[in-house]
Amino acid sequence: MYEIGISNPGLQILYAYLNDATPAAAERAYCPWPDMAALMRAYDVPLWTLETIDPVAGCDLWGFTLPHELTYTNVLEMLDLAGVPIHAAERGEGQPIVLGGGPAVADPWPLAPFFEAFFMGEVEHRLDEIVEALAAPSRALRLQALAAVPGMWLPGVSERPAQRQVFTAFSRTPPVLRPVVPVLEAVHDRAIVEVMRGCTAGCRFCQAGMWYRPVRERPVDLVVEAAERLLAETGCDEVSLLSLSSCDYSGIEEALTRIRALRPGVRVSLPSLRIDSAAEALGGFAADQRGSVTLAPEAGTQELRDAINKGVDDAQFEEAVRATFGGGFTGLKLYFMIGLPGETDADVAGIARMAATAVRLAKEIGRGRARLSVAVSSYVPKAHTPFQLEPFAGAAVLRHRQQLLRDAMPRHVRINFHDVAASLVEATLARGGPGSDRLVEEAWRRGARFDGWSEHFHFATWEGAAAATGIELGAAELRSDETLPWESAVDAVVTRGFLADEQARASRGELTDDCRDGSCAACGVCGSGVEMDVLP
Amino acid sequence: MTWWLLTFSRGGPASYLSHLDTARAVQRTFARAGVPIALSQGMRPKPRLSLPLPLPVGAAGYEELAVVEVPDGPPSPAAALRELRAAAPPGLRPLAIVVVGDQHPRPQALEARYACRLEGDAGAVRAAVERYATEVSVVRERVSPKGRRTLDLKEYVVHVAAEPVLGGTRLSFAIRYRDDGAARPQEFIDLIAAWAEVEPVMRGLERRRVIWRDLPPGPSPGAGRSVSS
Ligand code: SF4
Repeated sequence: MYEIGISNPGLQILYAYLNDATPAAAERAYCPWPDMAALMRAYDVPLWTLETIDPVAGCDLWGFTLPHELTYTNVLEMLDLAGVPIHAAERGEGQPIVLGGGPAVADPWPLAPFFEAFFMGEVEHRLDEIVEALAAPSRALRLQALAAVPGMWLPGVSERPAQRQVFTAFSRTPPVLRPVVPVLEAVHDRAIVEVMRGCTAGCRFCQAGMWYRPVRERPVDLVVEAAERLLAETGCDEVSLLSLSSCDYSGIEEALTRIRALRPGVRVSLPSLRIDSAAEALGGFAADQRGSVTLAPEAGTQELRDAINKGVDDAQFEEAVRATFGGGFTGLKLYFMIGLPGETDADVAGIARMAATAVRLAKEIGRGRARLSVAVSSYVPKAHTPFQLEPFAGAAVLRHRQQLLRDAMPRHVRINFHDVAASLVEATLARGGPGSDRLVEEAWRRGARFDGWSEHFHFATWEGAAAATGIELGAAELRSDETLPWESAVDAVVTRGFLADEQARASRGELTDDCRDGSCAACGVCGSGVEMDVLP
Repeated sequence: MTWWLLTFSRGGPASYLSHLDTARAVQRTFARAGVPIALSQGMRPKPRLSLPLPLPVGAAGYEELAVVEVPDGPPSPAAALRELRAAAPPGLRPLAIVVVGDQHPRPQALEARYACRLEGDAGAVRAAVERYATEVSVVRERVSPKGRRTLDLKEYVVHVAAEPVLGGTRLSFAIRYRDDGAARPQEFIDLIAAWAEVEPVMRGLERRRVIWRDLPPGPSPGAGRSVSS
């Protein structure tokens, strides 16, 4: 799926660095859509790379970016289409070393037997060492050299968990300036400038917020120069200032002003808005950019928002809604989760109340016909977060709460839910331990592919795989006094003590401040060369 | 306001672009070349650029046309062409620019010449082509989301020829564009393949030439081939 794969900014970083700064030649391959895969099998055409149309099976190292759990069956599909044995143990000399990276390696167990190695964290500063390791004369020696690269975890070989790597030179390094520019329309069809890495807002459900700590910001000059160059050289008419929370980037206003002054008429997009500063940020949008606004209160009541450390109050929410409709934006989308730890039916009813507030405010402002939609996903507890030990809410509870919301939602508000069955599979894999790979393999053998796409997700396939492997979907038996499965593979550097403390604060409804404001919560990340790096 | 009629070729990897993606690729080529395109009015201004005759996905085009409105004070067409060529993606090559005033009627396609290769029994394909020549009408039904309509291929597809080549037949034909529309190359290829009982799989579809109404003569590969109303 090129349109999606090419939009991944992480892959662009790897591709640019490997090709421009190392002796390696990096090429790309994407998972073909099932109709294409069927034709490739029928005509015996192995998966090829886009650059040289060579079989992928012939490369030295095959790296997979693993964005989330519902892409796991695609890994097996691609290996199989390439004619590469899916189990690392069956691969030998002349076959690629398969390396996993990306956010989903936070718990690599569900994929462990299919990969020779996983790289934990940010890889930019380790690419030279990885390429160098590949120069060794045999596969065994290459694997040995790779095992010595910090951040590398080799299932069945590494004796200790790998330490998650932080790219400390991020602020001093320019963003990708020579990206691959697709000629067909990608899902994110714009130039991308990564302005900041990490987020310390401390939302307790958010894996990325824990995994990419600490915050590092690029100087505004680097950002503006990159935006100018990328717009000129790609021909895009829109630039995205990318990060986990771009409104928190200290240089955001200056960067927006300078980019707009340099290239009048250019569209500048921010991937997410913070509700507490949305009113101000929305005022800065040009008249022709006033499309739909997305706000993410995440939970329907103050108590639950405090428990997840999403420090947003009703007054801030109402101000953001007024700024949206008063500012001439054409629509508002609200994003919530259900199934959060400690959630009650009353919290869910609060979601409908907030939607009703938005409807009322729209009418008061004279925008009663504006589009309002609510997207509700099901919360899946993730590794390395304060909620890593919490149970998954379960299908019955989630379906019940979806129905509550359907009944309580004001008329004219469009509501979208995530498929509960897909969340059940995601929850199983997100905290899977050794042996959970059998579920992935069995599901793939039964035809599971592209599970993140509703038209391809078949729950019966996963139910069948679960029954065949004896793995209970949605269950995670974890004990706080034992090493958690993912802790044996990766040291995320955020300490278990901090996560436990945050879990306890959640149950008491206590907020933890953003550490960029000076109040370090001692999460364990900073120290020994790793520091927060924000603009003065 | 000035209009530029840009002829370009599309081939290689760019053959697989859809119509909209081809238009976007041309527009991005202008942006990268630093050659401005006029914008439409309204809340979300769009570049004023159109490709009047869509090229099927998978087909190469030797002489495609883009109609582009440029704002006042544009660069010289020769300089712009140099920059556009340097900025074009693989498979897309700007060929020539003809400048027309904003009163000039928009060019309309009258006829396009196609060629492709059909695999299988060359004798059977030749027989199918001969049969097509003798039929008075060949009515086909087209089903689309807009509904069903019938069209007589004989009114649209002319100059049909078949010539044996290695492994199959080179089929060439012309499609006439009328006010009520046109046949699609695939519709004609499907017909010949069905009559010849060969697979309706074509290879290397090319649009070799387009005859336009109101394409003024100029330093273009189309010069001398255009007709004026
Ligand atoms: S150690 Fe302190 S300052 Fe550093 S990321 Fe953790 S909480 Fe923030």
